[in-house]
Amino acid sequence: MRNRISFFALAAAIVALPIGLAGCPNGGGEGGEGGGGGAAKKSIHLPMRTDGPKSLDPVQGSTVYDNRACSMVYDTLLQYKYLVRPFTLEPNLVEAMPTVSADGLTYTFKLKKGVRFHDDGCFPDGKGREVVAGDVFYSWKRLADEDNKPKSWWLVEDTIVGFDEFKAAQNAAETFDYDAPVEGFKTIDDQTFSVTLKKPVVRFLWLMSMFQLSVVPHEAVEKYGNKFGRHPVGTGPFTMEEDAWVAGKSMVFQKNPTYRDDHYPSADEITDPKDRARGLHEPAGTKLPIVDEVRFTMFVEDQPMWLQFESREIGYTQVPAEYFPQAFVKLTKQLKPEYADKGVQFHSEMLLDFIFRGFNMEDELLGGWDPESRTYDPKKRKLRQAISMAISWEEFNTTFYNGLNVVYDGMIPPGLDGHPADGKAGASYRGPDIERAKKLMVEAGYPNGEGLPTIDYYVNRGGNSPEQAELFARQLKKIGVEINVKLVDFSTLIQTVDNKKAGFFSFAWSSDYPDGENNLALFYGPNEAPSANHFNYKNDEYDKLYEKILSMPSSPERTKIYEQMRDMVLEDAPYCGSMGRERFYIINPWLKNFRPSEQFYTWVKYLDVDDSTRP
Amino acid sequence: MWVYILRRILYNIPVYLGILLLVMLALRTKDPVWAFLGKRKSVADHDALEHKLGLDRAFAVQYVLFVGDVVTLSFDQESWGQPGKTANELLGDAIVPSLVITAPALLLSSLISICVGLISSFYRGRTPDRVLVILAVLGMSISFLVYIILGQYFGAFILNDKVGHRIFAVEGYPDSLTPFTWWTYCMLPVAISVIVTMGYDTRFYRAVMVEEGTRDYITTARAKGASKSKIMFVHMLKNAMIPIITRVMITLPFLIGGSILLEMYFGIPGMGRRLILAIRDNDFPVIQAFTAVFAGLYIITNILTDVLYALVDPRVRLS
Repeated sequence: MRNRISFFALAAAIVALPIGLAGCPNGGGEGGEGGGGGAAKKSIHLPMRTDGPKSLDPVQGSTVYDNRACSMVYDTLLQYKYLVRPFTLEPNLVEAMPTVSADGLTYTFKLKKGVRFHDDGCFPDGKGREVVAGDVFYSWKRLADEDNKPKSWWLVEDTIVGFDEFKAAQNAAETFDYDAPVEGFKTIDDQTFSVTLKKPVVRFLWLMSMFQLSVVPHEAVEKYGNKFGRHPVGTGPFTMEEDAWVAGKSMVFQKNPTYRDDHYPSADEITDPKDRARGLHEPAGTKLPIVDEVRFTMFVEDQPMWLQFESREIGYTQVPAEYFPQAFVKLTKQLKPEYADKGVQFHSEMLLDFIFRGFNMEDELLGGWDPESRTYDPKKRKLRQAISMAISWEEFNTTFYNGLNVVYDGMIPPGLDGHPADGKAGASYRGPDIERAKKLMVEAGYPNGEGLPTIDYYVNRGGNSPEQAELFARQLKKIGVEINVKLVDFSTLIQTVDNKKAGFFSFAWSSDYPDGENNLALFYGPNEAPSANHFNYKNDEYDKLYEKILSMPSSPERTKIYEQMRDMVLEDAPYCGSMGRERFYIINPWLKNFRPSEQFYTWVKYLDVDDSTRP
Repeated sequence: MWVYILRRILYNIPVYLGILLLVMLALRTKDPVWAFLGKRKSVADHDALEHKLGLDRAFAVQYVLFVGDVVTLSFDQESWGQPGKTANELLGDAIVPSLVITAPALLLSSLISICVGLISSFYRGRTPDRVLVILAVLGMSISFLVYIILGQYFGAFILNDKVGHRIFAVEGYPDSLTPFTWWTYCMLPVAISVIVTMGYDTRFYRAVMVEEGTRDYITTARAKGASKSKIMFVHMLKNAMIPIITRVMITLPFLIGGSILLEMYFGIPGMGRRLILAIRDNDFPVIQAFTAVFAGLYIITNILTDVLYALVDPRVRLS
């Protein structure tokens, strides 16, 4: 009889399994069902072009996706003005912009009255309590607690009086005491507090809008422990239940019914006429957030995201480079009639990118740094300049990015003080100019590359890096420079650069805040690897200027110094560059008020939906 | 039989321990903590995290602790990529979405392929056989990715557009599984999976059936006047069970493992997608737990295959 057990018995067992499972609720899941809910509920479905955030604990966040999700549920003291460009800050949790002491060291903030945390089980009776000054300091101190595995301590490192000492002492102690004082933190009353800095740095204000410094209640952190990042409690416009997040797949946020009095900006705040033409001024004064539910779906592949947009399921999509010709006329960068006729709108946004090929200035072959005299070998400078002159960034742009990127001189991206007019700076050695490059090779002592050893070139193996490296090698061959392409994974690339082992490498930098100072810091001597100065560039005069601009607010004088610093770096050529991305978005007609930015992500609260144009 | 099973398990324990050792060594060839920390970090950050995660302990200690986790099936280390979730929780969340795609796909593709293999062998050398073989080869020659991209485009996007309402979802996974939501979200990936595997399976089963069809016992059955259907479905099929079982059993671990490509494109939060995302995130505890579970599943299915051989074939003895 036992021989009668056949394939069909096995098949029956297999088929029983999913049928049985089909009766089970999905483990904490949610997902593809769009919309849902009651008839009057305003619900929007938006994409995240990635596997999504890792944690909704602000101190554990570092990526733009963590930023997007955290901006839904938390608030920072300041925020970016939604419709104002260039980027400008405005009060968010505070009543007004902080007052700054005459020496530029002490910032005094006053919190808005009546701002409450989300209603949650961590509070007595489940009612969110009012935010007080102590919550701000508590939240910032969490960045110092290594038990939280914080990813962004660098934001406040060496900035606030006594904070670094507090971090060291508390992490060395048996238990981390959040009540221990920090010299630079002063609570004046429940709403008012001041922060004293070690040195006057203007960027401190930008930090006040960064999601890592969001305000959280200690009750929630204590109650949920390491689950706090999955059960966020903040003051933001939306709330999220723990089971509304399927890791790597989707997350659903609900309107915060106790959200403070916050309104859509007034019509005269719009700075871009195109935004006015799109009607972005019309909802002025509307109470925020406007929609009741926001569903994010994570797309790790582009095709499903594109098809979901075409099906009008999701409100907008970024336009991946390979889909650009489908939706846009390549030459004019205008939307094709078949899209425009359907009411689809588009928006493009320059990203604060600095894409470059860097040299290690301590490398014997390429840098020629002499620590004794603190100078660079002039012949090595000629070699770097020659390499820079041999590279055609435009060719990279047209070959790999459909010509959508922007090529420019210097390290400061478009839209910021210090970015050269038309992208061209006089001191630039940006190519292609093969004749001049060849001449520089002769002056460097390597005519036609003779005597020059093969240069190891490190690049992240992801995406189309191999093809890009191929083009790069071909361009350099024209002046006799041979490179040995080392395709490595990203962590190896960082490690090699940080250990100063990579003489020549490909990297990119996205500005943390919209101030050229952030990019100029990449060449500040004391920031050498493993810090952000991956070039290990040292120039005493440059360093002095950098220290000077730290405390200077935006002004023509400061811009002049930015340009001076930019040109100093261009002359020394510690990198070849530069390029930045322009992001194109297309927007379905049912999504209203959409004015995206990748510099901040508080914009979801301004969005609205027109269900009459939705399938 | 139990003695046999026990013996097979005992034989496989050192194999499994060896696999775990290799997995752990492979994951430590590059310092996982540096990989996790990313762009902004210092040696102090590295050392603090390494200590916190217990990765500064002797390798032997880490190995013993991990074997303990495997034995008790408690992968309760916190995920690096999804803090607040343990590897266990991520495994548990991902198994059902994988199974609801792979189990029906395996069943359907096996049933259809066996039937097609039987038909093909029955008409061996004649037009139906040739057509089926050509179709199978064609099916095998096209990449899985092409099936997915075209399937998603024509099978969902275009179809829904033409019909005017949603027959199949372009991507996604339902909030709760019911037969209706399963059809909307899972049927298309299942269909694509079946079409892809049918090419390989059909050729394989055809070859098995053709070989069986030339055996003496088939001639004897024919001589005794057995009907064609009885010869095919009773005599041939029963005797072809060993290769069929082998093929089905080696597929079983993939039921849990899911299909990476399908899950990535259709947004199914299954095991394959979870593993790939863990690799992208340098999520060391999850990668370690998943590989240990996959290796365990392979060993278990190997043992089960041996036992099933003995059950379906009296020539195989449990000794």
